[in-house]
Amino acid sequence: MQEIIQLTINGLLQGGIYSLISIGLTLIFGVTRIVNFAHGEFLMLAMYGTFFLFQLAGIDPYLSLLIVTPILFILGLCSERLVIHPILNAPSFMQIFATVGLSVALQNAALFFWTADYRSVKTSYAGLTIPAGDLLISFARLMAFVAAVLISYGVFLYLKKTYAGRAIRAVAQNRTAATLMGINIRRIYFFTFGLGTALVGIAGALLMPIYYVFPTVGGLFVLTAFVVVVLGGLGNLTGAFFGGLIIGLVESFSGFYVATQLKEAVYFVIFILVLLLKPSGLYGIVGAEEMGEK
Amino acid sequence: MIRPLVQAFREPKGYLFLAGLLALFLLPLIVENPFVLHLVIMMLFYAALGGAWNIIGGFGGQLSLGHAAFFGLGAYTCVLLHLYTGLNPWAGMVVGMVVTSLFGAAISYPCFRLRGPFFTLATIAFAEVLRILATYFKDFTKGSTGITIPQNMGLANFMFKEKAPYLYIILIFALLVFVVSYLIEKSRFGYYLQALREDEDAAESLGINNTWVKLKAAVISAALTSIGGVFYAQYILFIEPYSEFSLDMSIQFALIPMIGGMGTAIGPIIGSFVLTPLQELLRSWLGGGFAGLYLVIYGIILVLVVIFMPQGILGLFKRREGEKETLPSAEEANIRS
Repeated sequence: MQEIIQLTINGLLQGGIYSLISIGLTLIFGVTRIVNFAHGEFLMLAMYGTFFLFQLAGIDPYLSLLIVTPILFILGLCSERLVIHPILNAPSFMQIFATVGLSVALQNAALFFWTADYRSVKTSYAGLTIPAGDLLISFARLMAFVAAVLISYGVFLYLKKTYAGRAIRAVAQNRTAATLMGINIRRIYFFTFGLGTALVGIAGALLMPIYYVFPTVGGLFVLTAFVVVVLGGLGNLTGAFFGGLIIGLVESFSGFYVATQLKEAVYFVIFILVLLLKPSGLYGIVGAEEMGEK
Repeated sequence: MIRPLVQAFREPKGYLFLAGLLALFLLPLIVENPFVLHLVIMMLFYAALGGAWNIIGGFGGQLSLGHAAFFGLGAYTCVLLHLYTGLNPWAGMVVGMVVTSLFGAAISYPCFRLRGPFFTLATIAFAEVLRILATYFKDFTKGSTGITIPQNMGLANFMFKEKAPYLYIILIFALLVFVVSYLIEKSRFGYYLQALREDEDAAESLGINNTWVKLKAAVISAALTSIGGVFYAQYILFIEPYSEFSLDMSIQFALIPMIGGMGTAIGPIIGSFVLTPLQELLRSWLGGGFAGLYLVIYGIILVLVVIFMPQGILGLFKRREGEKETLPSAEEANIRS
């Protein structure tokens, strides 16, 4: 029983990290329908930013959020203007190649400037665990989890309550109808890309006390994030949040009961099954999966 | 079936092609520099694999980024059979083709229901699963340590000391892929494929059995890709899951026809003959002191190609000739809806 509770906690905390990364991606994928392979590289850049702020200026990772997030927002806007904007009407495959190109360039620019060394921040709370009975809970992971909850809820409210948020949701649901309602979809794409990138910037700062940063760190997360996004339903924040938790739990349990090396295979199989059996995901709109063409 | 091939040689393009072929056949007799021969082998290798991808990806518009699955499956089937049963690699190649074709049919059938980015993501997932399994079953596949193929030179064992025999083999294979693609391009089957690429629903309503046509193209593409996998294994004499099943490999296979011109038989050859030397040269110029710089340039080139020449190199010529382009109709469809 003890074992199951600990596995559940580990799974949920790991899942929180996946949710955190996927929220930005689901916004971008859901609204622009662009498979953004560079999402992981934005995470990597945010982690490097947090690392250098800590190393050179001694700014705590949780405080550096305030600096890293706006920088990533601007970086997202620039990438949209330079790379995504010109190819918005290209076939989806071309778009994938453009984001793969962006991802390769960013990854190797990091390799060029900062070498392949693994770096981490040595905070006072690194490795700090909160004992709860016989259970152990990592402080930094708990922080990431709490942040995932807060951010999901915050963005959810933003999309629900504000005018801009409603416009974003309208574009995600039906581009044609949104255009007919007078929404400037190009501007929505531009802004959403920045917003999604800013969200992964938050994720990067929160992950820095937990993970090492190195140029290919984004690759570890980006495919998982796509699994989460499709599982949760495109452009659906609630879906991305719970999808992340589910994948975290799957990983934790299959890693323990099946084999650690197979946990990825397990969630890729789940991914394929979801695509084939319920392509709209847990919370998606039925038929939304064909919107790549619309 | 032969008629389109014969017709091709009534035009100057056909003679140019033959002259190039002859030059490649004579090359090993003149050049001994192993780097040059290796470069030509890689150019032909990627031309062949880009061509194999192009059959389903270019003609059929089913844009897979999971072709490394077929590539690795062919290589692993052949090498494992050779290792455990002593089966000759040539026979192993045939078995690999059969296994890969069956696998290709089995995964393609459900995936074809998916469209756009979802199809692409599903194909990536399949290749990833194979990579993880090949890493996991260590006792059988030697896991991430990889398998070094025991050396036993000779034509019978598909293993040579010199580069020249490899060059001839890959030249014949690339030619085979080209001929298959060319025949598809000019056949009824090819027109079906191109029709459903442009508009699946319209093709279906004209009486084309979409699923069957796509399945056939996927199996041909998978089988040819598996031959490429076997060639690569026998050329490098080493296989391991990360290089065999890697996403980078899948991307490369798709990139070649995209650079040259998708959905044409000659496109992948042009793509590979431009891109492969460029990559090798960039790597040898910048690879040494500046880690990563060559790939930064590669990534930027990729973005620029997508933005400025989405039709590939052939597209540039077509535009000049004022011919009607094929792909923009898909783009227009995108804008329209």
